Amino acid sequence: MKRPNEIEREEKSMAALVELTSVFEGIASMKIAQIKNQVLEATAFFNELWHIYSQLHVSAIFGFGRSQDDVEVIDKELYIIITAEGGFSGDIDQKLIQLMLKTYDKDKNAIIVIGHHGAIQLAQRGISYEKYFKLPNKDQNINVTPIIKEVQKYKKTTVFYQEYISLMSQDVKSIELSKAVSDKGQQSEDPDEIISEANYIFEPSTYDVVDHLERSMMQIAMSQLILNSKLAQYASRFRAMSASHTRADEAKQDLRMLYNRSKRNIKDARLKESIIGIKKSKAGAAS
Amino acid sequence: MAEEPQKTEGEEKPAASEHVDGKTMHVKVYAPFKVYFDGEAESISAVNETGPFDILPKHHNFMTLLDACDVIVRSGGNEEKIPITRGIMHVKADEIIVFLDV
Repeated sequence: MKRPNEIEREEKSMAALVELTSVFEGIASMKIAQIKNQVLEATAFFNELWHIYSQLHVSAIFGFGRSQDDVEVIDKELYIIITAEGGFSGDIDQKLIQLMLKTYDKDKNAIIVIGHHGAIQLAQRGISYEKYFKLPNKDQNINVTPIIKEVQKYKKTTVFYQEYISLMSQDVKSIELSKAVSDKGQQSEDPDEIISEANYIFEPSTYDVVDHLERSMMQIAMSQLILNSKLAQYASRFRAMSASHTRADEAKQDLRMLYNRSKRNIKDARLKESIIGIKKSKAGAAS
Repeated sequence: MAEEPQKTEGEEKPAASEHVDGKTMHVKVYAPFKVYFDGEAESISAVNETGPFDILPKHHNFMTLLDACDVIVRSGGNEEKIPITRGIMHVKADEIIVFLDV
């Protein structure tokens, strides 16, 4: 058995680990609260923009902000997959890739991957992707313009992302980007009147304004999906830290028990030695 | 005991019909995560593709894409300058909304 002072040292380092995991748990929990708040704020902003867009009856179909572009649209469906930047995301990224592979056809789809972990996972499976973007570190004002520029090149776009359900539950999902925009729009009020050139002045032009609004709403919807994935990743990390915290706490308690047992053993051994000594001295005196 | 009437969202800001004096309008300048200005103002100035312009009360319904500039909101003798990179301005019945970072 280990000596008590060795066990005590181990117990102290385990106590530090308990505190550390508790701090990480706290950070993840704080980040979750912040992001949830940001998602709500951005939703209110989006709803007001959508309310104006929905009054502009230029076309019934969402135009991806390219009504005035002459560039030929690529006849493929773009897959955007939002994964974690590092490897601390558990198996959720693998699940996401498996979901994507269910419908992936290399002749019909092109892939853009966000997050280093997803890029590695795809490379390991020998799947090539068009572009890789780093998952933004910051949780506010995410610049998604380069991603939206890619989206505009393709006929259709589907985003694979991680959905936050609760602290203990996260899921993988996919959504068509134009549907993500209109779904968000459904949450806002119904249009109360039609905005047209008959009752409004547009500068530079109606189509410029509509294209800009469509691009803006795609950017907000895309940022929301990225935020949602980050939220799920923080929750996944929180869960991992929570489990580590429990394990470290249990290990610390086991070490404390081992320390007490070790000290008692030493005391018992000394007591035994003393009793044997007394017995021997008594036997010596009798003879 | 009588219940206090609940405040609705519409009661927070004056409705368009309340700008009857024709001297002020309701201006809101905001981005997805920050509100820069929300209140009554006498005028607002910005820059679009055509050049600098001012919006005063009773302006015609108007929608424009803003260029990088300082949006200036004049209210109660004060001037508030809000530097922007891009935005969309919507003017309707003395209600002005400037969406930033879009």
